[in-house]
Amino acid sequence: MSAVELNDVVKRYGALEVVHSVNLNVEQGEFVVLVGPSGCGKSTTLRMVAGLEEISGGTVSIGGRLVNRVAPKDRDVAMVFQNYALYPHLNVAENIAFGLRVRREKKDVIDAAVKEAAAILDLTPYLARKPADLSGGQRQRVAMGRAIVRKPQVFLFDEPLSNLDAKLRTQMRAEIKRLHKRMGVTSIYVTHDQIEAMTLADRIVVMNGGRVEQVGSPMELFLKPANAFVASFLGSPPMNLLRATVVSMDGEPRARIDAADAEAAVLKLPRASSASLRADQRILVGLRPEHVAVGMDASADVQEIAATVDLVEPLGSEALLHTRISGQSIVAKIETPADVETLLQIGRLQIPVGRLHVFDAESGRAVNGHA
Amino acid sequence: MASFNLYSRGDRIFGYANATLIGLFVLSTLYPFIYLLSVSISSGAAVTSGQVVLLPKDLTLAAYEFVLSDRLFWIAYGNTFIYTFGGTAVSLAIMIPGAYALSRPRLRGRKILNLMVAFTLWFNAGMIPFFLNMRDLGLLDSRFGIIIGFACNAFNVILLRNFFEAVPKSFEEAAKMDGASEFQLLWKVFIPLSKPAIITVALFCIVSRWNSYFWAMVLLRGEEKIPLQLYLKRIIVDLTANDEFASSLLTARYSFETVTAAIMIASIIPVLLIYPSIQKYFNKGITLGGVKE
Repeated sequence: MSAVELNDVVKRYGALEVVHSVNLNVEQGEFVVLVGPSGCGKSTTLRMVAGLEEISGGTVSIGGRLVNRVAPKDRDVAMVFQNYALYPHLNVAENIAFGLRVRREKKDVIDAAVKEAAAILDLTPYLARKPADLSGGQRQRVAMGRAIVRKPQVFLFDEPLSNLDAKLRTQMRAEIKRLHKRMGVTSIYVTHDQIEAMTLADRIVVMNGGRVEQVGSPMELFLKPANAFVASFLGSPPMNLLRATVVSMDGEPRARIDAADAEAAVLKLPRASSASLRADQRILVGLRPEHVAVGMDASADVQEIAATVDLVEPLGSEALLHTRISGQSIVAKIETPADVETLLQIGRLQIPVGRLHVFDAESGRAVNGHA
Repeated sequence: MASFNLYSRGDRIFGYANATLIGLFVLSTLYPFIYLLSVSISSGAAVTSGQVVLLPKDLTLAAYEFVLSDRLFWIAYGNTFIYTFGGTAVSLAIMIPGAYALSRPRLRGRKILNLMVAFTLWFNAGMIPFFLNMRDLGLLDSRFGIIIGFACNAFNVILLRNFFEAVPKSFEEAAKMDGASEFQLLWKVFIPLSKPAIITVALFCIVSRWNSYFWAMVLLRGEEKIPLQLYLKRIIVDLTANDEFASSLLTARYSFETVTAAIMIASIIPVLLIYPSIQKYFNKGITLGGVKE
């Protein structure tokens, strides 16, 4: 039995459908991250699980129980909000205890639960403070404390780290992961940050335009994206997508890169996708920046291609090269970089054929057997 | 280093003009208080002969002795306390839940209900229908009538509603997820978060009820139920026509003017005491509803 089950879940606001037939099974103890750009329907989907949005169609079950018509308080879920939603007139202990108080738990039970939650989250010294006297990270921990103290079946996180600065976000991300390992509670986490998704999730659900694009483990999605959207959404910098047309050379399909004013480069394509391609098919050739090489010898599996470097962004241990191939932009992530001037002189890039992804330009679907 | 003046000459002139105007305004509002206080502690003869303009003359507490020894003064004072604080409590108990309900988007007929409330800001039935209504409800000459008849004020309801609407939705959602009922949501979340608005509205109620005069005069009959303002009116009207009082003026050190001034000073003391402690909320509250945070 799944901990949370969404079957053909739809959300409409009047005539406007914003979530289209979402299906998802979240297993017991699993950490599932819904990720996608703003307006893709991930928060709406989470809020339907929470009971904060009415479900226009389909069913949501929690712990095997249909909850479409069940009030949020009776769903046995707890939610951590983006803006923490801590009550400013209550101190940390009172905020954590709020859920138990309104449920009229006994005082000693509440005290014990608050102490336990505070200890887990390192909040014991701050119990008497008001939210205004806490840092962003501490406030976020209080919000989590309020959720864990109720010992719910499911934790729901709605972009809980969005209001934190980059450093704190990294710390809190690790704390959430530790907390999940320790408590093992089924969690659904919404974010637009693909790094949060990659680092936290057992499984990632990539959403776009109210639809689920792909569900899978972080590495599965990274290595085998089902379509161009998933490919370009996960990874930093995102995957390069070159517009191209399939041509036949030496009896094998190749990709001729679209070039307006430049000489069109031709790329070999991976064997896995060759069988599914037809001549003149419009495709997108995907290549992750970290898979582009500089200074490697060309071979049967590595092809060399002429490129001009526009810009170099040194990042310390690595550098980003903004280059052009046949007039199209391509970003390369180069480790152990030379100085910027040397990198600007690079005239050729090496591309491992096996690392290329091929997507149908019209549908965006992968045609290299990764779907 | 060359000196640098942040303000231009025009700015400085504008500043002085502002300070002068504000100073004049403060003096013009402060003067009646000072004058009343001076009159109340001056002798009747000095006041009658026009010697008291700003500072007291022939210091005496005779007017206060006269007022404080009057049984009806204490009854009226007690009534005003009941009407003011009892009435404010009842008003808040009615207006807060009403405003909360009107602020909730899920309230059926919310738009029309809000319009109906706002309508009473611009139009009301008028004095006679209201009087007849109170009569038909059996609320004439009744303390309860004075309290309940003026318990709800559309402006205050709208003020509170606007504040409730500005409370971030996530507070409500978090409380609901935690299991709070609608009443707990109002009591434990919205009311504490809306303290500035509630205190402002309470202050509006207190000031308006403390000064209420007209409807008490129309609706109340018995002397035992009149508020302080009505007592003051009776003193002003009745004492001038009271031969006994007029003859007592020949010997007493108080006069008609000093007695009325003493009553007025006595009647404003509670409001003067309350205001400074809630002034910060009042200042915050009068800008409510103007902007959403």
